[in-house]
Amino acid sequence: MTTKKKRSAHTSNDSWVVIAADSALDKTKLDDGDPTFIRLRNPATGAASQYLFSRGDVRLYEVKAFVEDFHSWFIDQTVQRDGRLLYVTPMDPLFLLLPYLQSGAVEGKFQPLQQIVMDEDYPGCTRMLKCTQALDTLQHVADEKVVGSQKFHRYSQEKTMDWLKKKVLNTVSALKKSDISVGGGVKSTTYVRVKQETDVTEEDYLRYAHGLISEYISEDLSKDLHKHLQLPEISSPKEVEPPSKKRKLSDKPVEAGEDYTKFNSADFARKPPKKMTAAQKTLAKVDKTGMKSMSSFFSPKVKQEIK
Amino acid sequence: MDLRDFEADNSVSCRLSSPVPDVCRTEDCCLGIDEAGRGPVLGPMVYGICFCPVSRKENLKNLKVADSKTLSEAERENLFLKLDKAKGFVGWALQILSPNTISTSMLQRVKYNLNALSHDAAIGLVQYALDCGVQLKEVFVDTVGPAEKYEEKLSQRFPGVKVTVRPKADSLFPIVSAASICAKVARDHAVKDWKFTEDLGRVDTDYGSGYPNDPKTKSWLLKYLDPVFGYPQFVRFSWSTAQTLLDSKAVPVHWDDDEEDGEKAAARQNNTSVLSYFSRSKPAGNTHTRETHRFFTERRLQSIDTL
Repeated sequence: MTTKKKRSAHTSNDSWVVIAADSALDKTKLDDGDPTFIRLRNPATGAASQYLFSRGDVRLYEVKAFVEDFHSWFIDQTVQRDGRLLYVTPMDPLFLLLPYLQSGAVEGKFQPLQQIVMDEDYPGCTRMLKCTQALDTLQHVADEKVVGSQKFHRYSQEKTMDWLKKKVLNTVSALKKSDISVGGGVKSTTYVRVKQETDVTEEDYLRYAHGLISEYISEDLSKDLHKHLQLPEISSPKEVEPPSKKRKLSDKPVEAGEDYTKFNSADFARKPPKKMTAAQKTLAKVDKTGMKSMSSFFSPKVKQEIK
Repeated sequence: MDLRDFEADNSVSCRLSSPVPDVCRTEDCCLGIDEAGRGPVLGPMVYGICFCPVSRKENLKNLKVADSKTLSEAERENLFLKLDKAKGFVGWALQILSPNTISTSMLQRVKYNLNALSHDAAIGLVQYALDCGVQLKEVFVDTVGPAEKYEEKLSQRFPGVKVTVRPKADSLFPIVSAASICAKVARDHAVKDWKFTEDLGRVDTDYGSGYPNDPKTKSWLLKYLDPVFGYPQFVRFSWSTAQTLLDSKAVPVHWDDDEEDGEKAAARQNNTSVLSYFSRSKPAGNTHTRETHRFFTERRLQSIDTL
C-alpha cells in the first residue's frame, strides 16, 4: 500500500522559528538600527556561517540550527515545512577576529585594526570593529601599542594559547555544572541516564572541552591548543583499518588452508575419465620418457627441490 | 438505540450494552458474534454480541431474526426493537470501533491490522459477557479470516466454551443473526448522524454507502480532502481508497518509518551504509577534514550559511 514519495528539495522560507537571547533583540536604543543577520567567515571551517549583530553592532551572536529529518512546524494557521529551530546565542567575537589577526601576524608588525580586519568575500566583517565587546578584550590575544590617538595591534600566539586555555577550563566547569556526559559510552542524548557516570576523568572533560572550543578556531590552532593543554594523543579508532587482504610473502613453505585429502577417500570416487578424442588418443601413445609434465613449469618450488 | 455515549467522543472506541437478563446468569447460554461496517471507508466498524439461554433459542427463532443483509433498514430497526423488548432473556453488547481507532491502529508504527483488531474486539465482548456472569457454553461466530485458525484462537482463549466459527454464520444461527442486527443498527445510526469534530460548516451528508466503490462516496472524499490534513476523522485513512487520493491530491507528508531504499535513505540521514565499507573508495561526504564535535552532532545542531 505504501507508495514511494519523493522528497523535493527544501525551499527557503520567509519565516523562521528562532530562540534568541533577549539581549540580541534589545529594543531600548532606537537610533542604532535593528539587529541584523549577517554572513561571516566561520573561523573553524573558513566557509560562510550565519551570525547576528545586536542593535548598533554592540554584541555578536552565532546562529545554530537544530535540524532533524521529518519535522515540520504548525505556526498558528500555517504549516512550515522546514522543522528547523534556530538558536541565536551570544558568541565571543574574538573567535571571529582571530583568523584575521593571525594572518596579519606573518609580517610581525603592529598594525591598525582597520588594516587587519579586511575581507573581500565578507565585507561585513568590518562591522566587528564597532563591536565594543571585541575591542575591549583584544589584549587577550594581541599585543597593543598606542601612538598618539591611534592603537596598533600584533597577534600573540602565547597570549592566545593562554586565553584559549582559560576558555577550555571555563567550558569544563560549565560542562560539569550542566551535567553533560563527556564519557565515551554515550551515543544518544535521548536516553535518560539513571546511573551517574563515575568513571569520567578530568582528562575526559578537558578533551571534550577542547573539542568544543575547536569548533571555533582553525585546525592549526586546535592542534597547538592540544599541545598547550598537554593532552596525550590518542589514536582514534576510526584510523584503525582492518589488515589488508594481501598476505605478505614469507619464506615459510605454503601450507594448504583446507584439507583436500577428503577427496581421495574411497567414498569420494573420482569420475571416470572422459572419452578421449582421436587426436588425444594418438598423443597419449607417444613416448613420454624424459619429458617434464606441463604442470611442473608452473611450480617454482618443485624446481628448487630438484636442484 | 441510544448512541449518546459514543457520540460524546466519536474518536475513540466505545462499548454499549443492554442490562444482563437474570436467566442468563443461572442458565447455560449461547452467544453470537457478528460485525457491521468492515468494508466501508467511512464511519465506524461495529462488533455486536447477542446472548440468550440455550433453552430459549426457539423463542429467538420466533422473532424471525434473519441475516441483517437480507433485511431493509426499517425491518432491521423493527427487529432490534423486538430484541430490546425481549430483555427478559436476550442480552446484547456492542463495541464501536471509531474510524479514527481503525486508522491509528492500522497506520501506527507497529501495525495492528484489521483482522487482529476484529478478533480482539470479539474477544473483548465475550470476556465482557463472562465478566457479567453470563453462563456461556456455546459461542457462534461469523468468520474473519480462515475459520479454523480463528476457532482455535477463540477456543484457546475461552476454555470450557464450545466455539463454532463458520462463514455465513449470520444466516445459519439465529443468535448470530440477532448480533448482526444489533451491530448493523448501531452502525446505521452512527453514520447517519455523525457528529463531525472538525469545523466543516454545513457538511454535505450525501456520502452514499461509504463503500470504496460507491461513486457518491468517492466524490464526497474528493470534496472533503484538505491538502494538509487530509480528511475528517469520519474517514478511515488506512483504506487504500483514501490513501490513493491523498497521494495524488494532498501535500506529501514524510514519516520516519516511510519505506525507502536502504542506501538512499542512509545517505539522506548521513549514515554510511554498510555497503560502503566493502568498496575501496570512501563515501563522498567524508572528505571534510574535521568532523563536527559530538556535542553538536548529538544535539542535531549545525551552523548554517543561509537562513
